[in-house]
Amino acid sequence: MKLLDVHNLKVHYGGVNAVKGIDFHLNAGEIVALVGANGAGKSSTLRAICKLAPHSGKLFFDGKDLAAVKSHDLVRLGIALVPEGRGIFSDSSVEENLLMGAYIHNDAKIKTDLEKIYTLFPRLKERNQQAAGTLSGGEQQMLALGRALMSRPKLLLLDEPSMGLAPLIVKAIFDVLKQIAADGMTIFLVEQNAGLALELSMRGYVMESGNIVLTDSAPALLQNPQIRAAYLGQ
Amino acid sequence: MDIFLQQLINGLVSGSIYAIVALGYTLVYGILRLINFAHGEIVMLGAMIALSVIGLLTDSGLPGLLIVSLGLLCAIPCCMLIGYLIERIAYRPLRHAPSLTPLITAIGVSIVLQNLAMMIWGKEFISFPPLIDVQYFSISEATINSVQIFIVIVSTLMMTGLNYLVNKTKLGNAMRATAQNAEVAGLMGVNANTIISLTFVIGSALAAVAGMMVTMNYNVAHYDMGFMLGLKAFTAAVLGGIGNLRGAMFGGILLGIIESMGAGYLGTLTNGMFGSNYQDVFAFFTLIGVLIFKPSGLLGKAGGERP
Repeated sequence: MKLLDVHNLKVHYGGVNAVKGIDFHLNAGEIVALVGANGAGKSSTLRAICKLAPHSGKLFFDGKDLAAVKSHDLVRLGIALVPEGRGIFSDSSVEENLLMGAYIHNDAKIKTDLEKIYTLFPRLKERNQQAAGTLSGGEQQMLALGRALMSRPKLLLLDEPSMGLAPLIVKAIFDVLKQIAADGMTIFLVEQNAGLALELSMRGYVMESGNIVLTDSAPALLQNPQIRAAYLGQ
Repeated sequence: MDIFLQQLINGLVSGSIYAIVALGYTLVYGILRLINFAHGEIVMLGAMIALSVIGLLTDSGLPGLLIVSLGLLCAIPCCMLIGYLIERIAYRPLRHAPSLTPLITAIGVSIVLQNLAMMIWGKEFISFPPLIDVQYFSISEATINSVQIFIVIVSTLMMTGLNYLVNKTKLGNAMRATAQNAEVAGLMGVNANTIISLTFVIGSALAAVAGMMVTMNYNVAHYDMGFMLGLKAFTAAVLGGIGNLRGAMFGGILLGIIESMGAGYLGTLTNGMFGSNYQDVFAFFTLIGVLIFKPSGLLGKAGGERP
């Protein structure tokens, strides 16, 4: 079953066409990577799905047309974004950030969810009363991921989760993503680091200057000589 | 000691009012980065509406305290509605305009409201009818009356309540999140427009109470009373660090005390060259002084405005 279905998506900022009419989809339970160089239109694609960028084309989530859905209603449908640059609330405490993730919920399960996040990221528990802005970059990325999970999403969108982080931290974050995926979460992973993203994913799309130029299973893409040359430096 | 204690009490009373009004400025600034210059006018409208209701009920034979409370109870929802409408009609269409545009609009709204008030209530001073039996208490050489005690207590309660709302509740968490990053807060399910409307409504409710307190303290209301009061409260908010709730409270009370001390001692200090009528100058000089040495305000975070 297609969880997210995208038809002829175009994103245009003024005269600039950042995304030039792409089609792709995510099946429920899949991990799909969208890889490509800086400026290929990956983030614009995510922003359009989140209703944060001017766009045209058709977006369906769980069979529902997203045309009339506002950005602040997406989370109620089950879409959560871990934004590029993390977008944490730096003056609020770590715990307040996580509770913001559960803003749409009003039940006792919030507490168990919070404990789950603290088990996934013990460092967040140690610092739960600290202002989020005092965390290191890696901890902030964990917080952004934890906050997205607090909304109990059906689809998790990740925008460059590895950006600017030390390899060890990146590994820790991707290990958690693996765990979440094993629990059946559908994940759409936008990454410049193609090798990293494709190793985690089942399928991948390759984007170049606003178009999807290639799509295949992740293992096949990792073996593709063109991809190896262009994105994996091999 | 002579007048010190008395000036301290007077300063604390007017400072409490400044603090309540300053909170309105700081709340809106925190979320929209907008100086809502019309906020002082909402204080004035609160006073005027309350006085109109009180005027209607003066001869009704009801107990004085009840009449005053009814006046306040009518003024609060009216001001909340006015605050909501100002945001909805004047500011929301300019949400994505350059920041100078809403600022000029705010000044425009302020002028419109002031003139509207002048047309409705006239240019005369409206006095607060003697409905309450004011009690006086002496503390060593100073006196404090029941109205002043009431003002300090109610202000403290409102400040505590607001502090709790913003820092301890889910709504407050959402307000702070929206202030920091409205786009991401939206992705968590927060409707920024709702939060912004609520901010105006809460600030206006505080303003209505402040308007009532000013009128009770000075026994008069006037259509242009909101201008100077608004300016002072804005000063207080900047003094404490605008956008910071505790800063507004601290700045308000500090400004009230500085002003009152200035009024009390300026004549003696300058050998009669400047009288107590220079108290406003004293307040603004303090502001300039603070801004030179700590531009972000006393409790403000260094680094200034977020982009």
